[in-house]
Amino acid sequence: MGWFLFIGDMLVMLFMTALVVWLSLRSTTETLDYSARIPLEDDQDHG
Amino acid sequence: MSVSNNGYYHDGLVLRLVQFSVLWAVVAMSVGVFIAAEFLWPTLDLGQFWLSFGRLRPLHTNGVIFGFGVSALMATAFYSVQRTSHVTLFLPKLAWFCCYAWQLTVLFGGISLLAGWTSSKEYAELEWPFDIAIAVIWVCFGIVFFGTIARRRIRPIYISNWFYGGLIIVIAMLHIVNNLALPVSIGKSYSLYAGAQDAIVQWWYGHNAVGFLLTGGFLGMLYYFLPKQAEQPIWSYRLSVVAFWAFTYSYIWAGPHHLHYNAIPEWVQSLGMVMSLVLLAPSWATMINGIMTVSKAWPKLKTDPALKFIVLSLAFYGLATFEGPMMAIRSVNVVSHFTDWTIGHVHSGALGWNALVTYGTFYFLVPRLVGAELHSTRLANLHFVLALAGTLLYILSMWAAGVSQGLLWLSVDKLGELSFTFRDIMTGMKPYYALRLVAGLMFLSGTVLMAYNLFMTTRGRQPLQCAPAPVPEPWRLPESGYRTVTAKQVNA
Repeated sequence: MGWFLFIGDMLVMLFMTALVVWLSLRSTTETLDYSARIPLEDDQDHG
Repeated sequence: MSVSNNGYYHDGLVLRLVQFSVLWAVVAMSVGVFIAAEFLWPTLDLGQFWLSFGRLRPLHTNGVIFGFGVSALMATAFYSVQRTSHVTLFLPKLAWFCCYAWQLTVLFGGISLLAGWTSSKEYAELEWPFDIAIAVIWVCFGIVFFGTIARRRIRPIYISNWFYGGLIIVIAMLHIVNNLALPVSIGKSYSLYAGAQDAIVQWWYGHNAVGFLLTGGFLGMLYYFLPKQAEQPIWSYRLSVVAFWAFTYSYIWAGPHHLHYNAIPEWVQSLGMVMSLVLLAPSWATMINGIMTVSKAWPKLKTDPALKFIVLSLAFYGLATFEGPMMAIRSVNVVSHFTDWTIGHVHSGALGWNALVTYGTFYFLVPRLVGAELHSTRLANLHFVLALAGTLLYILSMWAAGVSQGLLWLSVDKLGELSFTFRDIMTGMKPYYALRLVAGLMFLSGTVLMAYNLFMTTRGRQPLQCAPAPVPEPWRLPESGYRTVTAKQVNA
Protein backbone atom coordinates (compact mmCIF):
# COMPACT_ATOMS: atom_id res chain seq x y z
CA MET A 1 0.00 0.00 0.00
CA GLY A 2 2.85 2.36 0.96
CA TRP A 3 4.63 1.83 -2.37
CA PHE A 4 1.36 2.23 -4.26
CA LEU A 5 0.76 5.62 -2.64
CA PHE A 6 4.38 6.68 -3.04
CA ILE A 7 4.58 5.80 -6.75
CA GLY A 8 1.16 7.36 -7.29
CA ASP A 9 2.33 10.55 -5.63
CA MET A 10 5.41 10.63 -7.82
CA LEU A 11 3.33 10.15 -10.98
CA VAL A 12 1.01 12.99 -10.00
CA MET A 13 4.04 15.18 -9.34
CA LEU A 14 5.52 14.28 -12.70
CA PHE A 15 2.29 15.08 -14.48
CA MET A 16 1.88 18.44 -12.73
CA THR A 17 5.48 19.45 -13.34
CA ALA A 18 5.24 18.46 -17.01
CA LEU A 19 2.01 20.44 -17.29
CA VAL A 20 3.62 23.53 -15.84
CA VAL A 21 6.72 23.27 -18.02
CA TRP A 22 4.47 22.85 -21.05
CA LEU A 23 2.35 25.86 -20.07
CA SER A 24 5.39 28.03 -19.46
CA LEU A 25 6.94 27.02 -22.78
CA ARG A 26 3.77 28.13 -24.54
CA SER A 27 4.38 31.74 -23.56
CA THR A 28 5.85 33.82 -26.35
CA THR A 29 9.32 35.30 -26.01
CA GLU A 30 7.82 38.81 -26.24
CA THR A 31 5.50 38.11 -23.30
CA LEU A 32 8.32 36.72 -21.18
CA ASP A 33 10.66 39.61 -22.05
CA TYR A 34 8.02 42.17 -21.25
CA SER A 35 7.06 40.39 -18.01
CA ALA A 36 10.68 40.34 -16.89
CA ARG A 37 10.93 44.10 -17.36
CA ILE A 38 7.78 44.95 -15.37
CA PRO A 39 9.64 46.07 -12.20
CA LEU A 40 11.98 48.22 -14.30
CA GLU A 41 9.19 50.08 -16.05
CA ASP A 42 6.75 50.73 -13.24
CA ASP A 43 8.42 53.93 -12.05
CA GLN A 44 5.75 56.41 -11.35
CA ASP A 45 5.07 60.09 -11.70
CA HIS A 46 5.69 62.05 -8.55
CA GLY A 47 2.82 64.34 -7.65
CA MET B 1 -4.96 57.22 6.23
CA SER B 2 -6.44 58.47 2.96
CA VAL B 3 -8.82 56.05 1.30
CA SER B 4 -9.05 57.08 -2.34
CA ASN B 5 -5.64 58.77 -2.14
CA ASN B 6 -6.45 60.75 -5.33
CA GLY B 7 -5.13 58.00 -7.55
CA TYR B 8 -1.76 57.84 -5.79
CA TYR B 9 -0.23 54.66 -4.42
CA HIS B 10 -0.88 53.93 -0.75
CA ASP B 11 2.73 54.25 0.29
CA GLY B 12 1.98 55.68 3.74
CA LEU B 13 0.70 52.23 4.63
CA VAL B 14 3.86 50.62 3.26
CA LEU B 15 6.07 52.92 5.34
CA ARG B 16 4.06 52.25 8.51
CA LEU B 17 4.39 48.49 8.02
CA VAL B 18 8.15 48.87 7.48
CA GLN B 19 8.38 50.82 10.75
CA PHE B 20 6.48 48.11 12.62
CA SER B 21 8.66 45.43 11.04
CA VAL B 22 11.88 47.16 12.16
CA LEU B 23 10.45 47.63 15.65
CA TRP B 24 9.58 43.93 15.92
CA ALA B 25 13.02 42.97 14.60
CA VAL B 26 14.71 44.89 17.42
CA VAL B 27 12.33 43.58 20.11
CA ALA B 28 12.24 39.93 19.01
CA MET B 29 15.99 39.70 18.35
CA SER B 30 16.67 41.24 21.78
CA VAL B 31 14.58 38.46 23.29
CA GLY B 32 16.64 35.97 21.27
CA VAL B 33 19.88 37.40 22.65
CA PHE B 34 18.47 37.24 26.19
CA ILE B 35 17.55 33.56 25.91
CA ALA B 36 20.96 32.84 24.36
CA ALA B 37 22.43 34.38 27.53
CA GLU B 38 20.19 32.14 29.65
CA PHE B 39 22.03 29.13 28.22
CA LEU B 40 25.17 30.47 29.89
CA TRP B 41 23.59 31.96 33.00
CA PRO B 42 20.33 30.08 33.71
CA THR B 43 19.57 32.22 36.78
CA LEU B 44 19.02 35.21 34.51
CA ASP B 45 15.30 34.41 34.67
CA LEU B 46 15.37 35.64 38.29
CA GLY B 47 12.99 32.86 39.20
CA GLN B 48 10.20 34.51 37.17
CA PHE B 49 8.14 32.22 34.94
CA TRP B 50 7.67 34.93 32.34
CA LEU B 51 11.43 35.27 31.98
CA SER B 52 12.00 31.53 31.62
CA PHE B 53 13.33 30.02 28.39
CA GLY B 54 10.08 28.09 27.86
CA ARG B 55 8.04 31.30 27.63
CA LEU B 56 10.56 33.59 25.98
CA ARG B 57 11.52 31.20 23.21
CA PRO B 58 8.07 31.21 21.54
CA LEU B 59 7.95 34.98 22.06
CA HIS B 60 11.24 35.21 20.13
CA THR B 61 10.08 32.98 17.26
CA ASN B 62 6.59 34.49 17.02
CA GLY B 63 7.99 38.02 17.23
CA VAL B 64 10.53 37.39 14.49
CA ILE B 65 8.28 35.40 12.15
CA PHE B 66 4.93 37.14 12.60
CA GLY B 67 6.04 40.56 13.82
CA PHE B 68 9.16 41.26 11.79
CA GLY B 69 8.65 38.82 8.90
CA VAL B 70 4.95 39.16 8.15
CA SER B 71 4.96 42.96 8.58
CA ALA B 72 7.83 43.12 6.06
CA LEU B 73 5.97 40.79 3.70
CA MET B 74 2.76 42.82 3.96
CA ALA B 75 4.71 46.04 3.33
CA THR B 76 6.54 44.74 0.28
CA ALA B 77 3.49 42.89 -1.07
CA PHE B 78 1.38 46.07 -0.88
CA TYR B 79 4.20 48.12 -2.42
CA SER B 80 4.94 45.78 -5.31
CA VAL B 81 1.42 44.62 -6.14
CA GLN B 82 0.35 48.22 -6.73
CA ARG B 83 3.26 48.90 -9.03
CA THR B 84 3.24 45.60 -10.93
CA SER B 85 -0.53 45.94 -11.41
CA HIS B 86 -0.37 49.69 -12.22
CA VAL B 87 -3.30 50.44 -9.91
CA THR B 88 -3.75 51.63 -6.34
CA LEU B 89 -4.69 49.17 -3.60
CA PHE B 90 -8.11 47.53 -3.61
CA LEU B 91 -10.04 48.45 -0.42
CA PRO B 92 -7.25 50.52 1.20
CA LYS B 93 -9.23 50.85 4.46
CA LEU B 94 -9.12 47.09 4.75
CA ALA B 95 -5.37 47.19 4.11
CA TRP B 96 -4.94 49.68 6.98
CA PHE B 97 -7.07 47.39 9.14
CA CYS B 98 -4.71 44.50 8.29
CA CYS B 99 -1.73 46.63 9.30
CA TYR B 100 -2.94 47.68 12.75
CA ALA B 101 -4.94 44.54 13.59
CA TRP B 102 -1.88 42.43 12.80
CA GLN B 103 0.35 44.47 15.11
CA LEU B 104 -2.20 44.25 17.93
CA THR B 105 -2.52 40.49 17.45
CA VAL B 106 1.24 39.99 17.61
CA LEU B 107 1.51 42.31 20.63
CA PHE B 108 -1.27 40.71 22.69
CA GLY B 109 -0.36 37.26 21.41
CA GLY B 110 3.17 37.83 22.69
CA ILE B 111 1.87 38.91 26.08
CA SER B 112 -0.32 35.78 26.22
CA LEU B 113 2.75 33.63 25.58
CA LEU B 114 4.53 35.32 28.49
CA ALA B 115 1.46 34.60 30.61
CA GLY B 116 1.76 30.91 29.77
CA TRP B 117 -1.05 30.56 27.24
CA THR B 118 0.20 28.09 24.65
CA SER B 119 -1.09 25.35 22.41
CA SER B 120 2.42 23.79 22.55
CA LYS B 121 2.60 23.55 18.75
CA GLU B 122 5.86 24.96 17.43
CA TYR B 123 5.39 28.22 15.46
CA ALA B 124 1.63 27.88 16.20
CA GLU B 125 1.76 28.41 19.96
CA LEU B 126 -0.87 31.14 20.08
CA GLU B 127 -4.19 30.06 21.57
CA TRP B 128 -7.51 29.97 19.78
CA PRO B 129 -8.64 33.63 20.17
CA PHE B 130 -5.45 34.73 18.41
CA ASP B 131 -5.77 31.94 15.84
CA ILE B 132 -9.18 33.29 14.87
CA ALA B 133 -7.85 36.86 14.70
CA ILE B 134 -4.94 35.73 12.49
CA ALA B 135 -7.31 33.87 10.15
CA VAL B 136 -9.59 36.92 9.79
CA ILE B 137 -6.70 39.35 9.16
CA TRP B 138 -5.08 36.94 6.72
CA VAL B 139 -8.29 36.65 4.70
CA CYS B 140 -8.50 40.47 4.62
CA PHE B 141 -4.87 40.58 3.43
CA GLY B 142 -5.85 38.16 0.65
CA ILE B 143 -8.89 40.24 -0.33
CA VAL B 144 -6.76 43.40 -0.68
CA PHE B 145 -3.97 41.59 -2.55
CA PHE B 146 -6.06 39.56 -4.98
CA GLY B 147 -8.55 42.42 -5.39
CA THR B 148 -5.68 44.64 -6.52
CA ILE B 149 -4.52 42.00 -9.01
CA ALA B 150 -8.07 41.57 -10.32
CA ARG B 151 -8.23 45.35 -11.00
CA ARG B 152 -4.83 45.45 -12.68
CA ARG B 153 -4.23 47.44 -15.88
CA ILE B 154 -1.49 45.18 -17.20
CA ARG B 155 -1.99 41.73 -18.64
CA PRO B 156 0.91 39.69 -17.23
CA ILE B 157 0.92 38.94 -13.52
CA TYR B 158 4.53 39.49 -12.46
CA ILE B 159 6.31 36.52 -10.84
CA SER B 160 6.63 38.18 -7.41
CA ASN B 161 2.82 38.27 -7.21
CA TRP B 162 2.66 34.51 -7.76
CA PHE B 163 4.92 33.98 -4.77
CA TYR B 164 2.99 36.44 -2.60
CA GLY B 165 -0.27 34.81 -3.76
CA GLY B 166 1.09 31.37 -2.87
CA LEU B 167 2.06 32.71 0.54
CA ILE B 168 -1.44 34.04 1.22
CA ILE B 169 -3.35 30.97 0.03
CA VAL B 170 -1.15 28.25 1.51
CA ILE B 171 -0.58 29.92 4.87
CA ALA B 172 -4.35 30.39 5.26
CA MET B 173 -4.88 26.69 4.56
CA LEU B 174 -2.07 25.54 6.89
CA HIS B 175 -3.05 27.87 9.72
CA ILE B 176 -6.72 26.95 9.73
CA VAL B 177 -6.21 23.18 9.44
CA ASN B 178 -3.40 22.95 12.00
CA ASN B 179 -5.18 25.10 14.57
CA LEU B 180 -8.54 23.30 14.55
CA ALA B 181 -9.15 22.84 18.26
CA LEU B 182 -11.78 22.54 20.96
CA PRO B 183 -11.63 25.54 23.32
CA VAL B 184 -12.22 24.79 27.00
CA SER B 185 -11.52 28.30 28.30
CA ILE B 186 -10.40 31.67 26.95
CA GLY B 187 -6.75 30.65 27.19
CA LYS B 188 -6.85 26.90 26.65
CA SER B 189 -7.91 24.58 23.86
CA TYR B 190 -7.22 21.02 22.79
CA SER B 191 -6.24 20.07 19.26
CA LEU B 192 -8.71 18.05 17.21
CA TYR B 193 -5.82 15.73 16.32
CA ALA B 194 -4.05 13.30 18.59
CA GLY B 195 -0.83 11.30 18.70
CA ALA B 196 1.03 10.63 15.46
CA GLN B 197 -1.79 12.27 13.47
CA ASP B 198 -1.25 15.48 15.45
CA ALA B 199 2.48 15.29 14.78
CA ILE B 200 1.99 14.84 11.04
CA VAL B 201 -0.46 17.75 10.80
CA GLN B 202 1.80 19.93 12.96
CA TRP B 203 4.85 19.35 10.75
CA TRP B 204 2.83 19.64 7.59
CA TYR B 205 2.07 23.11 8.97
CA GLY B 206 5.49 23.78 10.48
CA HIS B 207 7.55 22.89 7.46
CA ASN B 208 5.26 24.60 4.99
CA ALA B 209 5.11 27.73 7.12
CA VAL B 210 8.87 27.80 6.62
CA GLY B 211 8.30 26.99 2.95
CA PHE B 212 5.57 29.36 1.91
CA LEU B 213 6.18 32.19 4.39
CA LEU B 214 9.91 32.27 5.09
CA THR B 215 10.88 30.99 1.65
CA GLY B 216 8.07 31.66 -0.84
CA GLY B 217 7.00 35.01 0.62
CA PHE B 218 10.54 36.31 0.75
CA LEU B 219 11.18 35.02 -2.79
CA GLY B 220 8.34 37.32 -3.82
CA MET B 221 10.29 40.15 -2.19
CA LEU B 222 13.48 39.05 -3.95
CA TYR B 223 11.91 38.76 -7.40
CA TYR B 224 10.61 42.30 -7.22
CA PHE B 225 13.38 44.17 -5.42
CA LEU B 226 16.43 42.39 -6.88
CA PRO B 227 15.73 43.57 -10.46
CA LYS B 228 14.91 47.05 -9.11
CA GLN B 229 18.20 47.30 -7.27
CA ALA B 230 20.32 45.66 -9.96
CA GLU B 231 18.48 47.67 -12.64
CA GLN B 232 18.38 44.48 -14.67
CA PRO B 233 15.47 42.22 -15.60
CA ILE B 234 15.42 38.75 -14.11
CA TRP B 235 18.00 36.66 -15.98
CA SER B 236 15.45 34.01 -17.02
CA TYR B 237 11.80 34.78 -16.49
CA ARG B 238 10.86 31.35 -17.81
CA LEU B 239 13.06 29.70 -15.17
CA SER B 240 11.41 31.78 -12.46
CA VAL B 241 7.96 30.54 -13.50
CA VAL B 242 9.08 26.90 -13.66
CA ALA B 243 10.83 27.30 -10.29
CA PHE B 244 7.66 28.73 -8.72
CA TRP B 245 5.49 25.79 -9.72
CA ALA B 246 8.14 23.18 -8.96
CA PHE B 247 8.68 24.82 -5.57
CA THR B 248 4.94 24.87 -4.85
CA TYR B 249 4.39 21.24 -5.79
CA SER B 250 7.49 19.91 -4.02
CA TYR B 251 7.45 21.82 -0.75
CA ILE B 252 4.04 20.72 0.42
CA TRP B 253 5.22 17.07 0.71
CA ALA B 254 8.44 17.59 2.65
CA GLY B 255 7.10 18.06 6.22
CA PRO B 256 7.50 14.44 7.43
CA HIS B 257 11.31 14.82 7.41
CA HIS B 258 10.80 16.49 10.81
CA LEU B 259 9.50 13.14 12.10
CA HIS B 260 12.23 10.70 11.05
CA TYR B 261 12.44 7.66 13.34
CA ASN B 262 9.12 8.63 14.95
CA ALA B 263 5.87 6.67 15.20
CA ILE B 264 4.66 7.51 11.70
CA PRO B 265 4.62 5.17 8.67
CA GLU B 266 8.06 4.63 7.18
CA TRP B 267 6.85 5.42 3.67
CA VAL B 268 5.71 8.84 4.89
CA GLN B 269 9.21 9.48 6.23
CA SER B 270 10.71 8.31 2.91
CA LEU B 271 8.34 10.55 0.98
CA GLY B 272 9.35 13.54 3.11
CA MET B 273 13.04 12.76 2.53
CA VAL B 274 12.71 12.29 -1.23
CA MET B 275 10.63 15.43 -1.71
CA SER B 276 13.14 17.39 0.36
CA LEU B 277 15.88 16.30 -2.04
CA VAL B 278 13.67 17.17 -5.03
CA LEU B 279 13.36 20.67 -3.55
CA LEU B 280 17.02 21.31 -4.28
CA ALA B 281 16.12 21.85 -7.95
CA PRO B 282 13.66 24.76 -7.64
CA SER B 283 15.61 26.29 -4.75
CA TRP B 284 18.85 26.41 -6.64
CA ALA B 285 17.11 27.44 -9.86
CA THR B 286 16.02 30.58 -8.04
CA MET B 287 19.44 31.15 -6.52
CA ILE B 288 21.15 30.77 -9.91
CA ASN B 289 18.55 33.07 -11.48
CA GLY B 290 19.29 35.69 -8.82
CA ILE B 291 23.08 35.43 -9.09
CA MET B 292 22.94 35.63 -12.90
CA THR B 293 20.72 38.71 -12.63
CA VAL B 294 23.22 40.40 -10.33
CA SER B 295 26.16 39.31 -12.48
CA LYS B 296 25.33 42.13 -14.89
CA ALA B 297 25.47 44.66 -12.09
CA TRP B 298 28.62 43.77 -10.14
CA PRO B 299 30.01 47.34 -10.18
CA LYS B 300 26.94 48.50 -8.21
CA LEU B 301 27.98 46.23 -5.35
CA LYS B 302 30.85 48.59 -4.53
CA THR B 303 28.56 51.54 -3.92
CA ASP B 304 25.13 50.15 -3.06
CA PRO B 305 24.80 48.68 0.45
CA ALA B 306 21.23 47.55 -0.25
CA LEU B 307 22.36 45.38 -3.16
CA LYS B 308 25.16 43.90 -1.03
CA PHE B 309 22.60 42.68 1.52
CA ILE B 310 20.49 41.10 -1.21
CA VAL B 311 23.42 39.32 -2.86
CA LEU B 312 24.64 37.99 0.46
CA SER B 313 21.12 36.80 1.26
CA LEU B 314 21.16 34.82 -2.00
CA ALA B 315 24.35 33.08 -0.90
CA PHE B 316 22.80 32.12 2.43
CA TYR B 317 19.61 31.07 0.63
CA GLY B 318 21.71 28.68 -1.45
CA LEU B 319 23.49 27.41 1.64
CA ALA B 320 20.34 26.87 3.70
CA THR B 321 18.43 25.22 0.85
CA PHE B 322 21.33 22.81 0.30
CA GLU B 323 21.75 22.04 3.99
CA GLY B 324 18.01 21.44 4.56
CA PRO B 325 17.68 18.55 2.06
CA MET B 326 20.94 17.04 3.35
CA MET B 327 19.57 17.10 6.91
CA ALA B 328 16.38 15.44 5.65
CA ILE B 329 18.34 12.34 4.62
CA ARG B 330 17.62 9.84 7.37
CA SER B 331 21.20 8.75 7.91
CA VAL B 332 22.24 12.40 8.36
CA ASN B 333 19.17 13.20 10.42
CA VAL B 334 20.11 10.52 12.94
CA VAL B 335 23.04 12.77 13.89
CA SER B 336 21.47 16.19 13.42
CA HIS B 337 18.02 15.71 14.97
CA PHE B 338 17.53 17.13 18.48
CA THR B 339 20.89 18.92 18.31
CA ASP B 340 21.98 22.53 17.88
CA TRP B 341 22.81 21.76 14.25
CA THR B 342 19.09 22.33 13.59
CA ILE B 343 19.28 25.69 15.38
CA GLY B 344 22.26 26.64 13.20
CA HIS B 345 20.38 25.60 10.06
CA VAL B 346 17.29 27.58 11.01
CA HIS B 347 19.37 30.68 11.67
CA SER B 348 21.34 30.39 8.45
CA GLY B 349 17.93 30.74 6.83
CA ALA B 350 16.38 33.24 9.24
CA LEU B 351 19.37 35.56 9.65
CA GLY B 352 21.28 34.91 6.45
CA TRP B 353 18.34 34.75 4.07
CA ASN B 354 15.18 36.29 5.57
CA ALA B 355 16.69 39.10 7.57
CA LEU B 356 19.34 40.10 5.03
CA VAL B 357 16.99 40.17 2.04
CA THR B 358 14.59 42.27 4.14
CA TYR B 359 17.33 44.65 5.29
CA GLY B 360 18.52 45.12 1.72
CA THR B 361 14.96 45.80 0.64
CA PHE B 362 14.40 48.32 3.45
CA TYR B 363 17.63 50.19 2.63
CA PHE B 364 16.38 50.48 -0.94
CA LEU B 365 12.73 51.10 -0.21
CA VAL B 366 12.65 53.59 2.65
CA PRO B 367 14.71 56.36 0.99
CA ARG B 368 12.59 55.97 -2.16
CA LEU B 369 9.36 56.16 -0.18
CA VAL B 370 10.24 59.54 1.32
CA GLY B 371 12.29 60.86 -1.60
CA ALA B 372 15.54 61.24 0.34
CA GLU B 373 19.04 59.84 0.40
CA LEU B 374 19.84 57.20 3.01
CA HIS B 375 20.95 59.03 6.18
CA SER B 376 24.31 57.22 6.38
CA THR B 377 25.82 54.82 3.84
CA ARG B 378 28.73 54.29 6.22
CA LEU B 379 26.39 53.01 8.95
CA ALA B 380 24.71 50.71 6.41
CA ASN B 381 28.12 49.31 5.44
CA LEU B 382 28.98 48.78 9.11
CA HIS B 383 25.63 47.01 9.51
CA PHE B 384 26.57 44.75 6.60
CA VAL B 385 29.83 43.71 8.27
CA LEU B 386 28.10 43.09 11.62
CA ALA B 387 25.33 41.07 9.96
CA LEU B 388 27.74 38.95 7.94
CA ALA B 389 30.08 38.29 10.87
CA GLY B 390 27.20 37.66 13.27
CA THR B 391 25.48 35.21 10.94
CA LEU B 392 28.67 33.27 10.17
CA LEU B 393 29.69 33.06 13.81
CA TYR B 394 26.19 31.92 14.79
CA ILE B 395 26.09 29.17 12.17
CA LEU B 396 29.62 27.93 12.80
CA SER B 397 29.19 27.76 16.58
CA MET B 398 25.91 25.86 16.25
CA TRP B 399 27.33 23.49 13.64
CA ALA B 400 30.21 22.66 15.95
CA ALA B 401 27.91 22.27 18.94
CA GLY B 402 25.33 20.24 17.02
CA VAL B 403 27.70 17.80 15.37
CA SER B 404 29.47 17.27 18.71
CA GLN B 405 26.14 16.62 20.45
CA GLY B 406 24.93 14.22 17.74
CA LEU B 407 28.11 12.15 17.72
CA LEU B 408 28.51 12.11 21.49
CA TRP B 409 24.89 11.06 22.03
CA LEU B 410 25.36 8.15 19.62
CA SER B 411 28.58 7.06 21.29
CA VAL B 412 28.28 3.79 23.30
CA ASP B 413 30.81 1.68 25.17
CA LYS B 414 31.56 -2.05 24.77
CA LEU B 415 28.50 -2.98 26.82
CA GLY B 416 26.21 -0.79 24.76
CA GLU B 417 25.86 1.80 27.51
CA LEU B 418 25.91 5.51 26.63
CA SER B 419 29.49 6.81 26.85
CA PHE B 420 28.42 10.28 27.96
CA THR B 421 25.52 11.58 30.02
CA PHE B 422 23.30 14.36 28.72
CA ARG B 423 24.64 16.61 31.48
CA ASP B 424 28.29 15.93 30.54
CA ILE B 425 27.63 16.82 26.93
CA MET B 426 25.69 19.99 27.70
CA THR B 427 28.37 21.18 30.12
CA GLY B 428 30.88 20.96 27.26
CA MET B 429 28.73 23.23 25.12
CA LYS B 430 29.42 26.42 27.05
CA PRO B 431 32.11 27.81 24.69
CA TYR B 432 29.80 27.35 21.70
CA TYR B 433 26.93 29.03 23.53
CA ALA B 434 29.20 31.94 24.43
CA LEU B 435 30.11 32.33 20.74
CA ARG B 436 26.41 32.17 19.84
CA LEU B 437 25.67 34.95 22.31
CA VAL B 438 28.40 37.14 20.79
CA ALA B 439 27.05 36.40 17.32
CA GLY B 440 23.53 37.34 18.37
CA LEU B 441 24.74 40.58 19.92
CA MET B 442 26.58 41.47 16.71
CA PHE B 443 23.53 40.79 14.57
CA LEU B 444 21.26 42.71 16.95
CA SER B 445 23.68 45.68 17.01
CA GLY B 446 23.54 45.85 13.23
CA THR B 447 19.74 45.78 13.32
CA VAL B 448 19.69 48.64 15.84
CA LEU B 449 22.02 50.63 13.57
CA MET B 450 19.60 50.07 10.69
CA ALA B 451 16.64 51.17 12.82
CA TYR B 452 18.49 54.41 13.67
CA ASN B 453 19.59 54.93 10.06
CA LEU B 454 16.09 54.47 8.67
CA PHE B 455 14.56 56.59 11.42
CA MET B 456 16.93 59.45 10.58
CA THR B 457 16.17 58.99 6.87
CA THR B 458 12.42 59.36 7.38
CA ARG B 459 12.47 61.88 10.25
CA GLY B 460 10.30 64.88 9.45
CA ARG B 461 9.40 63.54 6.00
CA GLN B 462 6.15 62.28 4.50
CA PRO B 463 5.82 59.52 1.88
CA LEU B 464 5.96 60.87 -1.68
CA GLN B 465 2.80 60.82 -3.74
CA CYS B 466 3.35 58.44 -6.63
CA ALA B 467 0.86 57.57 -9.36
CA PRO B 468 0.71 54.45 -11.54
CA ALA B 469 2.81 54.62 -14.69
CA PRO B 470 1.09 54.15 -18.08
CA VAL B 471 1.10 50.68 -19.60
CA PRO B 472 2.08 50.34 -23.27
CA GLU B 473 -0.03 48.51 -25.84
CA PRO B 474 -0.64 45.59 -26.27
CA TRP B 475 -0.13 44.87 -22.58
CA ARG B 476 -2.68 47.37 -21.33
CA LEU B 477 -5.96 46.13 -19.86
CA PRO B 478 -9.12 48.22 -19.74
CA GLU B 479 -10.43 49.33 -16.35
CA SER B 480 -13.18 46.73 -16.42
CA GLY B 481 -10.65 43.96 -15.82
CA TYR B 482 -8.65 41.22 -17.41
CA ARG B 483 -11.57 39.00 -18.29
CA THR B 484 -12.52 41.24 -21.19
CA VAL B 485 -9.25 40.61 -23.03
CA THR B 486 -8.09 37.23 -24.23
CA ALA B 487 -4.58 36.17 -25.17
CA LYS B 488 -5.68 35.92 -28.79
CA GLN B 489 -6.90 39.53 -28.78
CA VAL B 490 -3.64 40.75 -27.28
CA ASN B 491 -1.54 38.88 -29.82
CA ALA B 492 -3.74 40.22 -32.60
